[in-house]
Amino acid sequence: MITLKGKGVCSGIAIGEIEIYRPFIPNISQETIRQEDVPGELQRYEAAMAASCSELSALEALTDTPESSAIISVHLDLLNDPSIDESVRGLITESRFPADRAADLTFEQSAGLLESCGDDILAERAADLRDVKRRFLRNYAGEKEASLSRLSRPVILAAHDLLPSETAVLDRKNVLGIVTEIGGMTSHLAILAKSYDIPAVLGVSGLMESAEEAMPVILNGGDGRVILAPDGDTRRAMEAEQARHLWEKALAAEFMDKPGATADGVPLQLGVNIGSSRPEELEGTERADYVGLFRTEFLYMNSGHMPTEEEQFEAYKKALLFYAPRPVTLRTLDIGGDKSLPYYPLPHEENPFLGCRAFRLCMEHRELFRTQLRAALRASVYGNLWLMIPMIGSLDDIRRAKEALAEVRAELDAERIPYSGDVKFGIMIEVPAIALIADKVAQEVDFASVGTNDLCQYLTAADRGNPGVAQYYQSYHPALFRVLCYVSECFQQAQKPLSVCGELGGDRLAAPVLAGMGFQKLSMPLSSLPYVKQALAGRTMPQLQSLAEAVCASATAEEAENCMR
Amino acid sequence: MYTRDTTVINPHGIHARPASTFVKEASRWRSNIQIANLSQPDKKPANAKSIITVLTLGMSLGSKVSITAEGADEQEAVDALIALIDSGLGE
Repeated sequence: MITLKGKGVCSGIAIGEIEIYRPFIPNISQETIRQEDVPGELQRYEAAMAASCSELSALEALTDTPESSAIISVHLDLLNDPSIDESVRGLITESRFPADRAADLTFEQSAGLLESCGDDILAERAADLRDVKRRFLRNYAGEKEASLSRLSRPVILAAHDLLPSETAVLDRKNVLGIVTEIGGMTSHLAILAKSYDIPAVLGVSGLMESAEEAMPVILNGGDGRVILAPDGDTRRAMEAEQARHLWEKALAAEFMDKPGATADGVPLQLGVNIGSSRPEELEGTERADYVGLFRTEFLYMNSGHMPTEEEQFEAYKKALLFYAPRPVTLRTLDIGGDKSLPYYPLPHEENPFLGCRAFRLCMEHRELFRTQLRAALRASVYGNLWLMIPMIGSLDDIRRAKEALAEVRAELDAERIPYSGDVKFGIMIEVPAIALIADKVAQEVDFASVGTNDLCQYLTAADRGNPGVAQYYQSYHPALFRVLCYVSECFQQAQKPLSVCGELGGDRLAAPVLAGMGFQKLSMPLSSLPYVKQALAGRTMPQLQSLAEAVCASATAEEAENCMR
Repeated sequence: MYTRDTTVINPHGIHARPASTFVKEASRWRSNIQIANLSQPDKKPANAKSIITVLTLGMSLGSKVSITAEGADEQEAVDALIALIDSGLGE
């Protein structure tokens, strides 16, 4: 029995057998061929190209999202590039290189050319070119694709890493769990695992050395443990834990369709956080009372280009129509910090989380902000739009955001384009400086929502993405609860809506505390909704109020957690 | 041989998607077609039917470009490609 540790990115326990995914590793010949073998070699080259081309076309038909089909379409473009073809044929006929050596040299030269332009987007195409090269070399070697699109039985996938072109076609129903050597919480794979609800542990070093084909394995997506070849006792213990986890899930599921309320019937509005208006993401979210956070940055991050006003308008319109008349809180572009756009390189910053991110970036790149505000206002006629600006640090910021919005309204008026007169204007509270003047803020805005992840990171001065300081990023730090309590009091006094859309809002231990402080709105991922409803229904409002007092009076995060348990 | 010049109007230049649109159109013609980025004279003209070489020209907003074709349909090819660039390549 070997226990390894990584980062659990999607909770749940998976028990099964390992299927090792090893991408093909080419062994390229460094010889030359005889003159009389040239025609035969050209034929082998053509056959491998044709096989690669038909594989890609078949994959294109299997993809089910626009992002993954865009990846495959780029690969087809690159494979069919005449400059590649010309160079490979030249090397075979003139230098008498075998086709694998010729193709390796050609693809590497082209990839080098793209990388030498010093442009991040072109450098990404170089990675695609190498992906295509590997496909060609595998077909030349006559090896089948170790495809993830058709698995023979339910397995736990183990790999060094999974590339987007590989996960795009994953055979979901046969994947019990995923474990890889690299990748973190915010990687493409992590987001995918969460959206498919597949337990996953990433960043497990030493995995491929220890794992063997068909070896029994248990992975715990909650605490990041991976147990290879478990002994009988461990297996029984984990089976019991898996059963408990599934039972809790089923129990909580009963609360899914009940309205959010405390045991003594005080109603609470419970919302969902969404990242797009794609059907698979909206499925099931109609149970929510509102959308507390529509993260518009995914619209930008999942695209190969800056989304146009029309594309944004369509996406916002779809979400507003889906939830109308319930509010949809649209958060304006939140990039910078840990999020970047491949096609819109930003200058390097020493401290990106303290730098030009989100609202600050929109002030530097006014055209981005203007396009987004125009699209949002135009869409506002289709529903109940609440517009929320992230990374606000002062009343000056609030006023500048309002001015930008007023300019766009004037533009639309001049062009006689209609928009709703009832769009709410609000901000994210995530910078400590703005939280501590919440009384003033409440006079300036229609609503606010607390982003607890960033607020915690800025309060504790600990980078939430850096595993080296994870112990300092204490999400139950009493200081965070005290600040939340202050913000809640200010907004109650001003009688303005206040929500929480950070992780704490969907945390089944912390959500009751927030309700006790007076937060009447909590927004969270759909999967947390039943657990939070269950936790709230277990206690009366007076009980929650004394719980909140006890938590705020705690001296340490541990003490606070003990009160909540 | 037939040549015409124009200016790139795409805010983010001729990147992945617009380059793909351009190359697909160029590939429809029989003539040999070359595209050059006049704003970066140190770069060699590219084969207009090759996505890789077109990408490496690094054409950005405001770049002056020149398209040259040689062959049976040279004039129609150049006119069509210039019109495509002037229309913003579908963006």
